[in-house]
Amino acid sequence: MELLCCEVDPVRRAVRDQNLLQDDRVLQNLLTIEERYLPQCSYFKCVQKDIQPYMRRMVATWMLEVCEEQKCEEEVFPLAMNYLDRFLAGVPTPKSHLQLLGAVCMFLASKLKETIPLTAEKLCIYTDNSIKPQELLEWELVVLGKLKWNLAAVTPHDFIEHILRKLPQQREKQSLIRKHAHTFIALCATDFKFAMYPPSMIATGSVGAAICGLQQDEEVSSLTCDALTELLAKITNTDVDCLKACQEQIEAVLLNSLQQYRQDQRDGSKSEDELDQASTPTDVRDIDL
Amino acid sequence: MSEQPGDGRPVAGGSRACRRLFGPVDSEELRRDCDALMAGCLQEARERWNFDFVTETPLEGDFAWERVRGLGLPKLYLSRDDSGGGKWPGASSALLQGTAPEDHVDLSLTCTLVPRPGEPPEGSPGGPGTSQGRKRRQTSMTDFYHSRRRLIFSKRKP
Repeated sequence: MELLCCEVDPVRRAVRDQNLLQDDRVLQNLLTIEERYLPQCSYFKCVQKDIQPYMRRMVATWMLEVCEEQKCEEEVFPLAMNYLDRFLAGVPTPKSHLQLLGAVCMFLASKLKETIPLTAEKLCIYTDNSIKPQELLEWELVVLGKLKWNLAAVTPHDFIEHILRKLPQQREKQSLIRKHAHTFIALCATDFKFAMYPPSMIATGSVGAAICGLQQDEEVSSLTCDALTELLAKITNTDVDCLKACQEQIEAVLLNSLQQYRQDQRDGSKSEDELDQASTPTDVRDIDL
Repeated sequence: MSEQPGDGRPVAGGSRACRRLFGPVDSEELRRDCDALMAGCLQEARERWNFDFVTETPLEGDFAWERVRGLGLPKLYLSRDDSGGGKWPGASSALLQGTAPEDHVDLSLTCTLVPRPGEPPEGSPGGPGTSQGRKRRQTSMTDFYHSRRRLIFSKRKP
């Protein structure tokens, strides 16, 4: 007798709801409400005394690693960063609390977006047990209170399908474009200069950067990069020049990130294992600009 | 391990992601800051709703609070032992953790906005859709006690 044993993916996903994606009101509503969920100020200048921009990058990089290792839904990381930025825009925080705060934000974002959310215990392990689950749960309430329980923030991910639907492109390339755009969004979330940008602009810039990047190797869109940017700007009511600038910044961040990665690769001191954990999300390493 | 069964996503042993970023964490400091921030949240809510959420008493202000009985709330909301909860300062735990005293039904309150003197009184009370502006704010008690509002208001109809 032969037995077949297979593992089933425990996560069940809903199919993309065409009723929502094909109704332009949804996109318009997203564009109307997205500003509500931006951090209130550029907090390194006006709120934080102890925390420096490089510390945000450190905690963001760590959060991305945890989300990737735990195979979280793509949206969890940018959403968690949105919570982190909104909290830091209102509450002066010592750097010793920053990792706890990052863990709390992942905890909340994961609960909101995942069928099987990250547990408090697991997140504490990822802090090398520097915090206790009880502390995480108590700070969860603090963060919730400070965010006024407004957790369903608009993220760049909310726009991707709406944008892709309106672009003339070969359908078989769409999943590759989507994948690269998601990677760009994660990259943007690690960099503070994008924290105050509306999510629609980050989404549009990411799709633009993804298509233009892929375009160099093969035809993925019938449009030139300039024509594409104009079309993208129209879709999300973004100013063309702003969008161009945003896309250039995204490409610069990617380039920077790739150079860092190659630098690490040249450093013989680092083991292969460590390279795998570099701050650049894996999918972008094979992109050429 | 403290993994939940069925999670399917264990923490890889020796993962490089397991690390502390900013040195030692002072538990005492965490507790102090946590308490201070929670107290701030409570104070904000107290001013917003002219209600002392710690002692569960209405205060002077825009809202008139009254007791509501017999809401037929699910048992979950009525009482819960303190076992799972943290050591929250004072009675704020009743509200924040859902660890309410046995007679939670008596604590269910409803609030209505009191018109300020000099303001024209609300026209046709109870008329559907007529309540404008200030009166409407009654239903926007979402800032802080979102789930509790639902618990109170959604059960009022029957």
